Amino acid sequence: MNEGLVVLVRAIIAFFSLLIFTRLLGKEQISQLTFFDYVLGITVGSIAAELTVDLTSRAWPHFIGLLTWATLGYLMEIVSLKWRYAAKYLEGEPTIVIMNGKFMEKVLKKMKFRASDILELLRNEGIFDVNEVDFAIIEPNGKISVLKKPEYLPLTPKDMNIKVSPSGISTELIYDGKIIEENLIQMKKDRKWLMDQLKKQGIRDASEVFLFLLNPAGSIYIDKYSDNMKNPIDIGDYKGPY
Amino acid sequence: MRNFMTKAIPIATIAIFILIMTSGGYLKRPLGDEDSFSKMIEDITTDVNDGAWDRADSNAKNLVNTWNRIVIRIQFSTEQEEIDDISTSLARLHGAVAAEDKTNALIELKEAYNHWINIGK
Repeated sequence: MNEGLVVLVRAIIAFFSLLIFTRLLGKEQISQLTFFDYVLGITVGSIAAELTVDLTSRAWPHFIGLLTWATLGYLMEIVSLKWRYAAKYLEGEPTIVIMNGKFMEKVLKKMKFRASDILELLRNEGIFDVNEVDFAIIEPNGKISVLKKPEYLPLTPKDMNIKVSPSGISTELIYDGKIIEENLIQMKKDRKWLMDQLKKQGIRDASEVFLFLLNPAGSIYIDKYSDNMKNPIDIGDYKGPY
Repeated sequence: MRNFMTKAIPIATIAIFILIMTSGGYLKRPLGDEDSFSKMIEDITTDVNDGAWDRADSNAKNLVNTWNRIVIRIQFSTEQEEIDDISTSLARLHGAVAAEDKTNALIELKEAYNHWINIGK
């Protein structure tokens, strides 16, 4: 038995099985994961690791374990999507921990949160004075959502009756020196327009550009490979190399 | 077409993986006359019972060669311990045949056959 070869083949099986199963489980970001999703991820990853290197047992039982966990995770997602009560039961629901500026002590006790934990979460959100908070809600993923008191809310153009045009989402027209034709068509522009814009910035060829972004409002962002920075700021403490 | 491929490729990949992982039972089957592990065990058992030690020795060597060929085919779908156990049994069998020790030879033959039955299950 060639152990190296067997581990190689098993690693390929585990890697692509994990890839396919996680794609099937959805596109939730790490920050959106509930505690159960987190544990599910660790368990599935652990089974995949055992599938790869545990040669004392066949790959098949490990694969069945992997498949079962992934399927159950998928079923839980389906149930949560279709049945609102189940979603609340399985994933938890948002909990108000500060209401009208007052801490909800009983809720904190039930959730096993200390006031200092809430203050820490608030500081993470850039709030250092609890007096600014009207409502604070702990989301199922453990993050805090804060509604500030009206007097602490930032001024918006609407408050000032200022008309603004929507900026929209920027689209890449040049990436890594290459023109992306599909995006040009999508933005209803052509190569001639693009080259004119580059010329205005003193750029002769698209290959000089690292990134060219255009948003629907017509705003352009260009980053060249040569940034011509005379004194770039170094925030590192040591010279390196790392 | 692209939509079809995005579904077909993962399904085909998983199917191939399942085939590789469960192929032990099929791949241990003999590919030719000199590839049958269980028949060779039977032959050696007859040789040992008849006291034909030279023939038993020759057959035991062939059995080891056959086993080494089978291992290459089944290694991805069986556990290492089962493979090691058969290899150990065959080594002991070789020793028992060389010593013309009928009792131990029969014990090792039975044990090797038992492991063979369990392999790839």
